[in-house]
Amino acid sequence: MSVARATAFASLAAVRSALADRTAFWLQAGGMVVNNGFWLVLWFLFFTGFRQVGGWRLVDMARLIGVVYLLFGLSTVFLGGYRDLAAAILRGDIDSLLTQPGPVLPRLLSRESMPSAWGDIFAGLVVLTFSAKLSLAGAAGAAAAVAIGASVWLSTAVIFGSLAFWIADARSLARDLMDFTLMVSMYPASIYQGWTKILIFTVLPAGFIAVAPVELVRDPSAGALALAAGAGVVFPIVATVVFGAGLQRYRRGAAPAG
Amino acid sequence: MKPAVTVQDLRKTYRQPRRRTGALGGLQGLFQPDYTELAAVAGVSFNIRAGERVAIIGPNGAGKSTTLKMLSGVLEPSGGEAQVLGFTPWRERRALAYRIGVVFGQRSQLWPELPARDSFALLRRIYDQPAEAFARRLGELAERFGVAGLLDQPPGRMSLGQRMRCEIVASLLHAPALLFLDEPTIGLDVTAKAAIRDFIREQSAREGQTVVLTSHDARDIELVCERVIVINAGRIVLDEATEGLRRRFLARKLVTVRSAAPVLEVEMAGVTRRPSEPHTTVLEVDTARARVEAVVAAALAHGGIDDVSVEDPPMEEVVHEIYAALAD
Amino acid sequence: MRSTPPSLTKAARLWVREALADLRAAAGAFRLGLTGAFAAWPALAGRVAFYAVCLMVLGAFWGKVGASRLPGTLATRLPPGGLGPYVGVTEWIIISAVSVQLRFEDEVRSGALEARLLRPRSWALLLIAEAAGGSAARMIAIAPAGFVLLVMTGLLPGPQALVRTALLAVGGAALTLLVYALVGLSAFWVRRVLPAMLIAQKLMFLLGGLFAPISLYRGWLHVLAFASPFAAQLGFPGQAILSMSWGGFAHALAAQAAWVTALAVMVALAARAGVAKTLREGV
Repeated sequence: MSVARATAFASLAAVRSALADRTAFWLQAGGMVVNNGFWLVLWFLFFTGFRQVGGWRLVDMARLIGVVYLLFGLSTVFLGGYRDLAAAILRGDIDSLLTQPGPVLPRLLSRESMPSAWGDIFAGLVVLTFSAKLSLAGAAGAAAAVAIGASVWLSTAVIFGSLAFWIADARSLARDLMDFTLMVSMYPASIYQGWTKILIFTVLPAGFIAVAPVELVRDPSAGALALAAGAGVVFPIVATVVFGAGLQRYRRGAAPAG
Repeated sequence: MKPAVTVQDLRKTYRQPRRRTGALGGLQGLFQPDYTELAAVAGVSFNIRAGERVAIIGPNGAGKSTTLKMLSGVLEPSGGEAQVLGFTPWRERRALAYRIGVVFGQRSQLWPELPARDSFALLRRIYDQPAEAFARRLGELAERFGVAGLLDQPPGRMSLGQRMRCEIVASLLHAPALLFLDEPTIGLDVTAKAAIRDFIREQSAREGQTVVLTSHDARDIELVCERVIVINAGRIVLDEATEGLRRRFLARKLVTVRSAAPVLEVEMAGVTRRPSEPHTTVLEVDTARARVEAVVAAALAHGGIDDVSVEDPPMEEVVHEIYAALAD
Repeated sequence: MRSTPPSLTKAARLWVREALADLRAAAGAFRLGLTGAFAAWPALAGRVAFYAVCLMVLGAFWGKVGASRLPGTLATRLPPGGLGPYVGVTEWIIISAVSVQLRFEDEVRSGALEARLLRPRSWALLLIAEAAGGSAARMIAIAPAGFVLLVMTGLLPGPQALVRTALLAVGGAALTLLVYALVGLSAFWVRRVLPAMLIAQKLMFLLGGLFAPISLYRGWLHVLAFASPFAAQLGFPGQAILSMSWGGFAHALAAQAAWVTALAVMVALAARAGVAKTLREGV
């Protein structure tokens, strides 16, 4: 439990320092709200013109977007260190963390917080409240989807970032893979078939970040819950194992020099 | 002979918005900015003969790089006149650019990822040089600066010394009559510094280039330049031959001895002790009156010596002393 | 000729000489950008992969939208093969564009600009030319991927449409770089170019029709999109692969030429004003 407490403490410290410059905070968070608002308007216009995509309507899209904004915002505000994990590894930032007691990964994740991500949290809450037409059970489903999605998203980002233990110029690769994953998770799940479906459930696991968790809101069933919850447990385990293996390699001095 | 550079009462004043405190002050500042004037260069005058090698030195913020910028045409003065190779730099920047070469020690003009040859090829087009004459000149310069074997390597993979030699070659390709060098040896090791100094001196002697150099390293100035202009607080405080400067201010070495004994007594003519920590003795040697070897030998004779180093006094100190001497 | 004062002809000759030298230097910078981009081939390969993933997703998206032609919706107005090829062209242009605005921002903010001003050529021209070389390399690298996708989906248009598309895509790429350059030059006045870039991206998306043809728009948005440079930048080249007459092609080409000229003048004026500011105030 002390690890969780230390992580929470570090995370809140990072959040406070991100909020310290009030002007910058409002500018960045507000800018992100405007940015997200633009996409929402675009999707609104799209569904006004086309009504549906493979059975997905505006309300389904609102649920998906709301959940993804919220899980991304929460991850990035409270555990924002995942965003440039590869750079932290390549720069040797973990050297000083290795000299401290306790696991390295939670410290790496909790030491940064992005002010702009508050804009994502806000936009996500607004969308879920006003356009997602959630019942009370639906709201509970959405909360579960956000928790599971955030867990898979953070795990995925850790796995991509850990590539830096093996590949010297992994920084842009990790960032590109994260961007791809986020991009493909922001489209109606109904469009993925055949090998695009394979892609989003393997290399770019958008399927486990957005598609499967959002099913808990759209069409809850025991199967959907099992799939989503399973992913929410398995991904963090895989990420921890991969990061741990990389750290072993780093300690042996075999990691690539940035 | 016509001077290469003439400068008459050159001035540059920057206006800086004054920051107000508090939210209201910040808002007020947006609509009614309040400026403070800062005279970076407060009226300097000098001439430089064609073929002369001159160092412009001074502490950080003294106005030397502002002066250099105005002379190379990338900054308009607030007042005064200057002629460089017959051009008014800030009015005829493009025309002047064909006649001057510039090296910034901290800024590369070569593409780090591409073979040096490719960067040179682009510079040929930028300076509008005929292909044949250019190839001949590149061959000559590459030979002279010892980079002939490096042309197919990207500068990003060269040592700093090799890269700096390529930078100097790049600035000489269009056969400029005047070379501006801004900290050309910064960050280099002792051998690489010595090589760069030799190259610059020989190059200027061979082709008669005028050289204007700034540096923090007193050795650059001593070994490359015949004349030194010292600038402080935007004004020229000294303008004389390096020889005279050497006699008065640079003819000193600092010998630092670390010993087991807390204090080391070295009594010699021309040697003064500077205040220092225990077990460390700093001796200032006037090289006109005492030989450094003799001082070191005298120190070693005490026995129990851990370390001895011989250094030039730092440039900041020299400039400070010059300034102090002039203020008297 | 006799009646012209000799000093005037001399000035004109000098001007022509300088202009030609500018063009030669720009050509050199273009070649440097091109070879540099091919030399960094892993990044180029990554970009091709990114293009392929984008198109797979967007192709699937528009394929699904077109699959059920719900009466009373815009879906009935979609082309028979869907919008995959259209998005393939607009993304080809956007993903190939070098982020030259970041170079401008970096040079202005770091002061590297000053060293560039010591050269007898236009700094902005050389930066844009180098970026154009890089963009050309990316377009060349991505083109086969797009071609393969067209063949695989059975949506390959005739050779005439391909030629029209390629020509308009070159114009679109030029417009993209000019827009980015204008965004980059804002660094002289606002230091950070990100806000301007975000606005430009939204405009390209909405008015350029990055993901959906502006021909589907109605009312004032339709008018606005067609009157903006963004239609010439993305919408027209995308439309060319779906269906376009030679007359439409001529119109699109003329619109591109007009906008390239207008934006180039704006870039030149902004660069000149920015450089003048730097010469006056330093960096």
